[in-house]
Amino acid sequence: MVSFHPDAKFLTDFAAGNLPLSEAICVAAHLEFCSKCRSHVQQLSDLGAQLMARLEPQLAAADSDDRQAFEQLMQRIDAADTDTAVTSAATTISAGAARGSSANPLGLPRVVQKLAAGGLQDLKWAQFGKSLRIAPIRIGEKTRETAIYDIRAGGRMPEHEHRGEEITVLLKGSFSDADGKYVKGDFVVRHAGERHQPTATLDTDCICLVSLEQPVKPSSFWYRLLEPFVNYRLSGLSN
Amino acid sequence: MDNKDDMETAVSVHPGRSATPDPWAENVRRVAETRDRAAFQELYKHFTPMIRAFLLKSMGAGANRSEAEEITQEVLIKVWNKAASFNSSKASVNTWIFTIARNTRIDFIRRNERNDRKIDIEDIWHEPDSPEPLVDLQQRRAEQVIKQAIATLPDEQLQVLYKAFMEGKSHNEVAEELSLPLGTVKSRIRLALNKMQILIDR
Ligand SMILES: [Zn+2]
Repeated sequence: MVSFHPDAKFLTDFAAGNLPLSEAICVAAHLEFCSKCRSHVQQLSDLGAQLMARLEPQLAAADSDDRQAFEQLMQRIDAADTDTAVTSAATTISAGAARGSSANPLGLPRVVQKLAAGGLQDLKWAQFGKSLRIAPIRIGEKTRETAIYDIRAGGRMPEHEHRGEEITVLLKGSFSDADGKYVKGDFVVRHAGERHQPTATLDTDCICLVSLEQPVKPSSFWYRLLEPFVNYRLSGLSN
Repeated sequence: MDNKDDMETAVSVHPGRSATPDPWAENVRRVAETRDRAAFQELYKHFTPMIRAFLLKSMGAGANRSEAEEITQEVLIKVWNKAASFNSSKASVNTWIFTIARNTRIDFIRRNERNDRKIDIEDIWHEPDSPEPLVDLQQRRAEQVIKQAIATLPDEQLQVLYKAFMEGKSHNEVAEELSLPLGTVKSRIRLALNKMQILIDR
């Protein structure tokens, strides 16, 4: 049972369409596991619609005729109609394929399936120690890294500290740290400066979607992603 | 509130009927089923000035009037094309059109970014696949609560909601613009949401 949810700030920014992509992907993944948050997002969309209805209506520029504008719109629709029919048929087929059990054996959220087109095994994985591998997902955002983490059953990640906020959404399996146990669907936020040492449960691998806020200082892509672990290693060596 | 249970039973016997009538649902149904142009023109007349107002505000400095006009047309084309996917037990036409306009705006903003990703906005901001009939009916009632409560909100709460939803500003951006601590913006939004019975635990 999901028990860690995005807070009101995440859900409001999401429903208003203001949440940056990396975080929005994490919220969207959580929503597929959580009907409670889905209904909150729906209510927040109702709120957005009510606010829109209260705006002072804006008429088209004075020189354009409403009726003529409508005719032009219909001409555009008619011209595109044949294309649309073809496209929507194709979309239906691919959506159906994605939902089929053979294409999605892990029951991954739609957004993760899309990011990992071709399956998780086809992502570019980097092995880190025995238990952890990381596949970065480039979505063109500058202030956050997005990645999939795969922790082997029973695997223990090094204790680490983040210099920015970290969001983790559990997609499969479960893990625990000093603060609690987390299961599939949980949306866990760690703030800058918090230390933790996640451990996957013994019986199954743990797969997570992670969004990591980056410190301001520039560094290479891989270094930024692995920084928490690299720091651990260096400090381990010097001890 | 006395006959709430009766209402629940009555409504679930007729799943097609929503808790409150939506004057525009019939128009969307006619567009979906018979591609009814007159029904679409009524929707067009009512919603276009609203969509345009929303886009002019929310697309911000990144867009000029002609871009806002172009995106308005895109929203209307989607209303025509997606009419069959509209589910009147899940949302009102008002809410449905707002979500289409919101997604088209996000899409426009991202179109101007350089990025290589094959991810669509609709993969993130999408309608849930599985129908949840009971939840949906509660949802439709919740919409009436929101509509009534919004009129009673103090200006300072309405202002932050307006900036978030209509001007497309995140909590952080609203805080910066109003020179308020982030915590104050958060708590104003929380108070407003509570009044509208949007009860988010954290
Ligand atoms: Zn939730």
